[in-house]
Amino acid sequence: MTNSPSITSPEAHGLARPRTRHFGSAAVWVLSAAIIGYALVFGGYMATIVAFALIYAVFVSGLNVFMGLTAQVSFGQSAFAAIGGYTSAVLTTTYEWAPLPGMVAGLVFALVAAFLIGFPTLRLKGHYLAMATLAIGLITYEIAVEWESVTQGYLGISGIPPLGIGPFEAVSDRAILAVLSVIVVILAFAVTRIRRSRLGRAFSAVAGSEEAASALGINVSRYKLVSFLIAAAIASLSGSLFVHVVGYVSPEVFGLHMVILAFTMVYIGGLGTVAGPLIGALIISILPEVFRGMKDYQDLAYGVTMILILIYAPKGIAGVADALDARRSA
Amino acid sequence: MFQAKHQFIAGLVAALAFVGAAQAQETYKIGISAGLTGYAATVDRAWSDGVQTAVDVLNEKGGVMGRKLEVVIEDNRSNPQEAVTVYRKMVSSDQVNLFSSGCVSAGNAAAAPMVAKSEIPMILCSILPKDAEWAFTTLPPAGFEIEKRFEYLRDKTQIRKVGVLHDPTPYALLQKDVAQKVAAKYGIEVVSTEAYKQEDADLSVQLSKMQSAGAGAVMKIGLGGTTLTAAKNLKQLDSPMLLLTSLEDLAVFKPVAEVLGDKFFFVASPSQVFEAYPDGPLKTAIGQFLDPWKKKFGDRDPNWASRGWDSVMLAAKAIETGKSFEGQAVRENLEKITGFQGTTGVYDMSPTQHQGISSNPFVVAQIIEGQVRIAQ
Repeated sequence: MTNSPSITSPEAHGLARPRTRHFGSAAVWVLSAAIIGYALVFGGYMATIVAFALIYAVFVSGLNVFMGLTAQVSFGQSAFAAIGGYTSAVLTTTYEWAPLPGMVAGLVFALVAAFLIGFPTLRLKGHYLAMATLAIGLITYEIAVEWESVTQGYLGISGIPPLGIGPFEAVSDRAILAVLSVIVVILAFAVTRIRRSRLGRAFSAVAGSEEAASALGINVSRYKLVSFLIAAAIASLSGSLFVHVVGYVSPEVFGLHMVILAFTMVYIGGLGTVAGPLIGALIISILPEVFRGMKDYQDLAYGVTMILILIYAPKGIAGVADALDARRSA
Repeated sequence: MFQAKHQFIAGLVAALAFVGAAQAQETYKIGISAGLTGYAATVDRAWSDGVQTAVDVLNEKGGVMGRKLEVVIEDNRSNPQEAVTVYRKMVSSDQVNLFSSGCVSAGNAAAAPMVAKSEIPMILCSILPKDAEWAFTTLPPAGFEIEKRFEYLRDKTQIRKVGVLHDPTPYALLQKDVAQKVAAKYGIEVVSTEAYKQEDADLSVQLSKMQSAGAGAVMKIGLGGTTLTAAKNLKQLDSPMLLLTSLEDLAVFKPVAEVLGDKFFFVASPSQVFEAYPDGPLKTAIGQFLDPWKKKFGDRDPNWASRGWDSVMLAAKAIETGKSFEGQAVRENLEKITGFQGTTGVYDMSPTQHQGISSNPFVVAQIIEGQVRIAQ
């Protein structure tokens, strides 16, 4: 599958302009930090919204690796979030594991599942790949509903312990926000490194043209699989984070709603950018709360805002920031 | 002069703060996390309207212990994550004193630990969360709807073999388990258990299996349009099986009755068969609710709304008994409520029993010539 030049060209990735001044990108990070800082200082209800936004930022970062860097489409990333979330939930409640080993186990299961699914599926392209991945998400959802002896179906699993290592437990709003912020920063750093690495350049080549990449000696199937595995691992992490932050999991959490929300976040934030998933997740999570007072018109106002953003910032907010930086440097 | 001016401003600020605090104390806020949109919309809108009706009636009488009640309602979109968000909003921004939340079990369960940490009592429409120290429910035990149907089949028919058709929701699963456990007590055998999904447009496969297994009746457990689907499928199959469904909005049942006629039975709450219900304390309690309800909503189904009404009346009772609005006191006094006549039955709470309805209030009903009647 090919994608737009803005995603695939080295300029867009900042690879050819090491001395470019990134005021626009910095502004996006500063805005994100300000929102998180506000939630950290004032806590309360805002802290809950921002915590969910950060969990989504993790999930969307994974999606961004597969969709933004490699230009593949997956509607099934919620499946890996579900695997990570349910593994953590079951191991920590039924078998009394600590959260961290539970999350690691979830990650391993998600990687195994992603490999088994991705190996045959990633030979597909375009709409066929999109439909295949959509099926993966729906099948996983059905398993979560039907495998009652393990998942407890719609009843869900409650009493899941909070995030923590050893004696430290992130129980308060501020502690949860702090932990999630650290994870998001580490992840953003990792994605930046991936983009600038040989792996990232291979992803970029696959994104530009699979045939051309193949002609250059890049093993397209292998790099697509690696990208899929990275995205699955990150999705699994987000699923585990969700269940430990909320303390409860049920199948609805990982339904189609999650996929739609994540796609909105990645496009509003900026596909293929590092800051895009974070700012996209923050904006999409906060906007409904901004319009909550409008009651029955809340969804209308939200929809209109989305349309306006996509009209005036078709490459997302981080994309606009990158474009501004490029204009200043020109 | 300068000092006097400062003293005046300080006095004014203090007075405003006092007035503000007094006003804040005047209203007792009841928060509702309800699925106003999504799969629970029908039920939760009715529940919320029932809560609001009770609050309006109590406020007309001067409130509870002289304090007016105020409803804060937020749409959780029938989604657990959204439920956590709106609960959090109502705890920290709206500072509600008590929750009277709707029927989205997963949402209530997801938010329950956070609400308990904030020491706010919850009176719910849904099943109880796992850790129910701060949660109470108006929901009758899952077995009641099942037992009433078995009783009817045993006492009024020759049918001794049934099929159980259920959706995958928590309450339906609980009922299915009860059906399998207690059937023998009524001399009935469950010969087939089949699941369906709320969005299924055809149930003929499940119904055919039941008929092949020798079932004389279908015990359907679950809400929504699938009841009409099942009825149409039974008609298409020319099946002799009776259809006995669980509690539902009467608006859903009327077209079903048109399809199946006297082969269709359903579990009804007392408020749904008010006219036919025998006189007594329960009928009096329902009447107290139905008067203001009908003034506001006409012939709209009163079932879930009546339980929303009960939740407010239970809270008022706990506050008046303990003469305290404080969360811990309200929780403790909710646990002490016994013999409280609600619109769905008598509530008997205790520290170990937060599901208060203790006697089966349901009846098996039919719709004959457009009129709801208790089945004979």
